[in-house]
Amino acid sequence: MTRLSGGLIDRGTTLNFTFDGRAMTGHPGDTLASALLANDVRLIGRSFKYHRPRGLVAAGSEEPNAMVELRTGARQEPNTRATMAELFNGLSARSQNRVGSLGFDLLAVNDLMSPFFAAGFYYKTFMWPKAFWEKLYEPMIRRAAGLGSLSMLPDPDSYDKGFLHCDLLVIGGGAAGLAAALTAARAGAQVILADEDFRLGGRLLAESHALNDAPATDWIAQIEAEFASLPNLRVMTRTTVFGAFDHGIYGAVERVGDHLATPGQNVRQTLWRITAKRTVLAAGATERHIPFANNDRPGVMLAGAMRAYANRWAVSPAQSVAIFTNGDDGHRTALDLAAKGVTIAGVIDTRAGARAQGDYPLFAGAVVSDTKGRLGLKRIAVTREGQTQWIEAGALGVAGGWNPNVHLASHHRGRPVWNDDLLAFLPEPGAVPGMVVAGAANGQGSTHAALQSGAQAAIDALAGLGMTAHQPDLPRAEDAPVNQAAFWHVPGKGRAWVDFQNDVTVKDIKLAHQENMRPVEHLKRWTTLGMATDQGKTANVTALAVMAELSGQSIPATGTTIFRPPYTGVSLSVLGAGDTGTHFRPRRLTPTHTWAADQGAVFVEVGQWMRAQYFPRAGETHWRETVDREVLATRAGVGLCDVTTLGKVDVQGADAGEFLNRIYANAMGSLKVGMVRYGLMLREDGHAYDDGTCARLAEDHYVVTTTTAQAGPVYRHMEFARQCLWPDLDVQLISTTDAWAQISVAGPNARKLLERVVDGFDLSNAAFPFMACAELSVCKGLRARLFRISFSGELAYEIAVPARYGNALMARMIALGADLGATPYGTEALGVLRIEKGHAAGNELNGQTTAQMLGMGRMVSTKKDSIGAVMSRREGLTAETRVLVGLQPVDASARVAPGMHLFTEGGAQNTDTDQGWITSACYSPHLGSMIGLGFLANGADRMGEVITAANPLEGQSAALRVVSPHFVDPEGGRLRD
Amino acid sequence: MTDLTPIMALGGQSARTQILGALTLSETPDLALASLALRRGTVQPVPMGLPLPGPGGWTAGQGVSAFWTGPGQWMIEAVGRADTGIEQALKHAAPGCSVTDQTDGFAAIEITSSAGGAPIRALLEKLVNLDAAGFGPGSATRTGLEHMTVFVIRRSEDRLAVIGMRSLAGSLWHAVERAARHLQEGTQ
Repeated sequence: MTRLSGGLIDRGTTLNFTFDGRAMTGHPGDTLASALLANDVRLIGRSFKYHRPRGLVAAGSEEPNAMVELRTGARQEPNTRATMAELFNGLSARSQNRVGSLGFDLLAVNDLMSPFFAAGFYYKTFMWPKAFWEKLYEPMIRRAAGLGSLSMLPDPDSYDKGFLHCDLLVIGGGAAGLAAALTAARAGAQVILADEDFRLGGRLLAESHALNDAPATDWIAQIEAEFASLPNLRVMTRTTVFGAFDHGIYGAVERVGDHLATPGQNVRQTLWRITAKRTVLAAGATERHIPFANNDRPGVMLAGAMRAYANRWAVSPAQSVAIFTNGDDGHRTALDLAAKGVTIAGVIDTRAGARAQGDYPLFAGAVVSDTKGRLGLKRIAVTREGQTQWIEAGALGVAGGWNPNVHLASHHRGRPVWNDDLLAFLPEPGAVPGMVVAGAANGQGSTHAALQSGAQAAIDALAGLGMTAHQPDLPRAEDAPVNQAAFWHVPGKGRAWVDFQNDVTVKDIKLAHQENMRPVEHLKRWTTLGMATDQGKTANVTALAVMAELSGQSIPATGTTIFRPPYTGVSLSVLGAGDTGTHFRPRRLTPTHTWAADQGAVFVEVGQWMRAQYFPRAGETHWRETVDREVLATRAGVGLCDVTTLGKVDVQGADAGEFLNRIYANAMGSLKVGMVRYGLMLREDGHAYDDGTCARLAEDHYVVTTTTAQAGPVYRHMEFARQCLWPDLDVQLISTTDAWAQISVAGPNARKLLERVVDGFDLSNAAFPFMACAELSVCKGLRARLFRISFSGELAYEIAVPARYGNALMARMIALGADLGATPYGTEALGVLRIEKGHAAGNELNGQTTAQMLGMGRMVSTKKDSIGAVMSRREGLTAETRVLVGLQPVDASARVAPGMHLFTEGGAQNTDTDQGWITSACYSPHLGSMIGLGFLANGADRMGEVITAANPLEGQSAALRVVSPHFVDPEGGRLRD
Repeated sequence: MTDLTPIMALGGQSARTQILGALTLSETPDLALASLALRRGTVQPVPMGLPLPGPGGWTAGQGVSAFWTGPGQWMIEAVGRADTGIEQALKHAAPGCSVTDQTDGFAAIEITSSAGGAPIRALLEKLVNLDAAGFGPGSATRTGLEHMTVFVIRRSEDRLAVIGMRSLAGSLWHAVERAARHLQEGTQ
């Protein structure tokens, strides 16, 4: 097939591409679809269920059939509509869903077995034997019924995202959209004009009509020139607005580099979140076909698409073409093709009174009732008044009327409204707040009406924003009325396809009706109609009409069909639109991270934080060897650990003490300046929320610490209390977690080490006792804070300096403490030290436990009220008998694992006899065995008893002795020394 | 003066700088920061001669500047004064207010454009959900950037600051650099 005359392609440049390995050529301006037609390719793929030969149906994003695998290697992309793939040099495309060659698909045998694949066949077949489903039936169906394949390789391209804000978003760059954007931009509004095509114009590019007696492209060029001069207008081609979300937010994908051979380092696609005060939906309309027997052969396509191929891309699917129509629109295609030298084999018009509008054979009051041609159309059967004749035609254009593209107007569940004059569903007015619909999307499909309604929609939209816009001087354009007669399908015996992509026929709809699957929602699920990747753009309304006919009801009474986002498929890569590796999510680094990395620390993720888990030394072959050493070194000399990740909240104001009294279960208002107190917070429901320390630096100044995990939530909780619960209190809060590098200095030599860094500060027990705090300076003048608190049970301090000095302070203390056994320790050793001391942590504060269970019931002050205090006294919580205990194996080699449940020794092991569970466990180098902490029923009264810890899922069991949770120094003498 | 050597938020001994097309990204060294919150009944001060901005605003004075962070709350900036005790100075200048040193709580990335405001706006569009056209000089806000909380300040037509949590400095730099790199590549 040679090219027709004219068209919007650059014939001066030739682009090479391949289809199923065959070398072909095209031109800039081509889509893969138009280039394939220009290379005489009509057969492009195989259908989903029956593996029927299929070709192009449409010329735009509604294409149901012509899906291909694009590109090769890791960039292989399945299910790309050939109509949306812009041709580039070196493009490689392959047909999909075939076994063998495209011309001889072995699975075409499915077509012969079609009686077994009727509507609801999944639900009726393969029911027995049950075991066959997973191993046989499902893999078999998945193999046979399919689309393209994945490369299984990581996507090598970059994706981006961004945020745009505008007064007016215009969706669609056809006649209505151009007029709307022009009107609004001239009025000075911030305007975004988005169109999925790579060129502005919409159907103007596909039609032969003149604007102001000149080609439409002249007017478009003039408008584009003006657009370029308007800084308040942003034109986004290759951009699909795929969803209308809440509060004027629209999702859009810009295909930045899809039209390039290799996107390279550049972004391939960008996900835009557009916040628009107002929107004009000018998405145009999709033509519908008329089902008849064997209407799915390559060569049978939409008449409007055929016209688009001829006018815009200068190609025709065949030299001899017939048209099947129920209105004047089909005749337009005949006229345009004839003008380009294509032979019109006939126009078959369902209307008995139809008249020819040019020099071509007309079959008025006739229908197309069948077709022939195994891999492509050869003949059509034309039936009139019971008489059938066969006509030779290489292609058939079908014109069944136009369905406005109401999709985005339905994204907030707006139900389209049936219009009997237009035989179409129109968008429900006001269905999406701030959205006005114009042009063919609103049933105003003549060029004149589209231009006028687009401009008016912009004027109306801006008026809502208090802006005045004026109707621009729009070109003279065709304004033909819609002349059509309702005609939905050709009755007959053969299979007539309604939904090409999911292989749903009129017979399937009949069967659904017969089986009482009549509501549209049931019809859809029973037959899978409209559930393919095209969401039934060319099928839904026709299916509804067929169901209406079967049920003897009107179309609107039968139901309506709405749409969900996305309008067309959106790749997961662009929805992610960011890093997939190291930077998949933000990472927080501690102030001593660089130093720890230099020491060869192994890091562990703790929420967003990367913390040093342990510091292996040469010769250590197992992580526990390292951890045991760190623990013993701390208990024998002095250990240092970065504890910056604990949350820090600065609390100031005249009522700071009263505020903290209400936040904490225990009293904080009575805390003396210069002292620290352990604090427990409860949730409103009385359960334990978080614990930490509270230091009073001045009468009106406290510093609260939280656990690492709850730093954010606790700060938010405190802000909520400050702003919403007690706005009358004079309190100011701000997080200082990142501002201070905080290092724990623990062990019998802790004081000696600190004496070497503080600037003349008296650290003696008398001057700075257990639970004291102070602001001081270290290392010759660096401001610092010192807290004498202990998580390990040893003599311990936490020293804080401005974060940027944390790295240097850690290095300094390790160096100065060499003779004192100064050893860095990580989170593993930290865990062992606190379990040995019986301190609760996240495992014990898991949201299900109470102060009473933690052995801190008496901390909930009865002398004041605080969040959760009243609820903690309710019967359901006070009746709880499980309390925190220590657990030590009878056999020192036994394994103790967190999550094990506790039972009476020798008793049954089930949920009724369950007496608690183990929350934390570790190997204690101090005791030479594993130890655990857990909640045990009546635990305080069972010291010395041997119980059973069991993990029935893995058949584990251990005999454990109930002991005090304080394995180390239960009297607490060391930390007070 | 202490004999300990500080490091930058990005871990280096000196501030990081990178040029990507028209945009220059710089880690700000020695930026002193302190939060200022009004106590009950306190009259809004004019600390260090600096009129405090209203919601969404940033104002600059002699060597100090301030941006609004919440009702009755501001962050005070002083370039080059990280070790000069801004907390004490501000407490003195704003009596009756709650002042907290935030110098080490944050990392600031200053972004300058050699091609006017357009590259700054394009970068804003890729980074934060703000109306870039409406976020002119003197604007400041707190917003989300790649799951991080940041302050964004438009210091002038061709200058933008992104201030994020210090512990997230690396991730923040990566996000800004990635966006700037994509813009640079998009214009080639």
